[in-house]
Amino acid sequence: MPLAMAAGRLTSRSDADLIQASKRGDLSAFEEIYAAHAGRMKSIAFHLLADRADAEDAVQEAFLKIYRAAGAFPFDSGLAPWIYRILLNCCYDTGRKRARQAETPLASEPPAIPSNVPLQVAIRHALARIHPQYRMVFWLFEVEGFRHSEVAAILEIPEGTSRKWLFEAKRELKRLLTESRA
Amino acid sequence: MTFDCKDLERALAVPELMADAREHAKVCDACRRELWLWGEISAVAPGLRDEWETPDLWPKIRQTLAAEQKAAKPHGWRGRLGGRFGWPVVAGMAAAMAIAASVLVVIYTRPAPAPAGSQDSDFLTEQTLQEVEKSEAAYRASIDKLVHLAQPKLSNSDNPAAVAAREKLLVLDSEIENVRSVVNRNRFNAQLQAELAVLYRDKQDTLKEILQRAQ
Repeated sequence: MPLAMAAGRLTSRSDADLIQASKRGDLSAFEEIYAAHAGRMKSIAFHLLADRADAEDAVQEAFLKIYRAAGAFPFDSGLAPWIYRILLNCCYDTGRKRARQAETPLASEPPAIPSNVPLQVAIRHALARIHPQYRMVFWLFEVEGFRHSEVAAILEIPEGTSRKWLFEAKRELKRLLTESRA
Repeated sequence: MTFDCKDLERALAVPELMADAREHAKVCDACRRELWLWGEISAVAPGLRDEWETPDLWPKIRQTLAAEQKAAKPHGWRGRLGGRFGWPVVAGMAAAMAIAASVLVVIYTRPAPAPAGSQDSDFLTEQTLQEVEKSEAAYRASIDKLVHLAQPKLSNSDNPAAVAAREKLLVLDSEIENVRSVVNRNRFNAQLQAELAVLYRDKQDTLKEILQRAQ
């Protein structure tokens, strides 16, 4: 597989070609879409669901929906925003199902941020304490490497809002990390 | 400008002020730490990404899709509709389609100058086709308005009814796209035009339901 494809950035055929071929039932074209995006999709799903099995289920469900709805692909907005929007909806569905099945209520308060741990670990803890919308924008932009225009399209928010929420996310993280290390 | 510690927050939001902030940080330990942390959050973030191998995932997806394709193939468009909507819904759509077809028949049996050599009742005349296409454009414009109104209710809602409506609209859009692509190659076919009209009607009804529920 070409490196660019594995990185989720480029495909040997254009996104439009791949989705058109998928719509005609070409599973090898659809596999190219899978190869280009599955890694990032699993990472995002795991970030939202905090469970690998649930994340894999959500990604599987998302790909089934993407294939079945290939005819509805909005050619003007690009493939990535469309498929990641479907993924987010699948993750929210999986999360709701899990919440219904949970025998004990899920903890509402995230654990405190431990001090004297590597910054990466502290950030992971601090992320659990910030507003979910800020957290999502931070994750898509800083962790997954999407541009603001892509984040905005995925979350269906204005690009300016994406920038503002990223700033708020980082400001909150900085405050929490500063407090935990004081 | 005289840069002060209290200006740091603003500087983080306004790139033009960062040079001043860095100058100030050279002589202020607290701001230096804050600036360092601000940069480190972004630098460390990509390392938070979780990656793991899932060799079984694609085969599972492929197997499911291949089985669906196999099940849908022998039945053509009826099979595809049945697989997606379930037969009770398809039966309802067929009934609605019959009504729409009869409406179209009424339209194109009105006296109109027929194109040379076209007397077959399964096909629209040039004039009736223009009328149908005009109606379709108006219908689509009205549906676009509904989509515009329903979009905030759909995209911002996690409730099961909204999720189900979103999925139904995705499937309907897919079917509309399929039927339209066939219609574009066979514009005079009355049955296809009727089929398209039913799908538009279903989409319109779905959007109206969403708006009614939101009120």
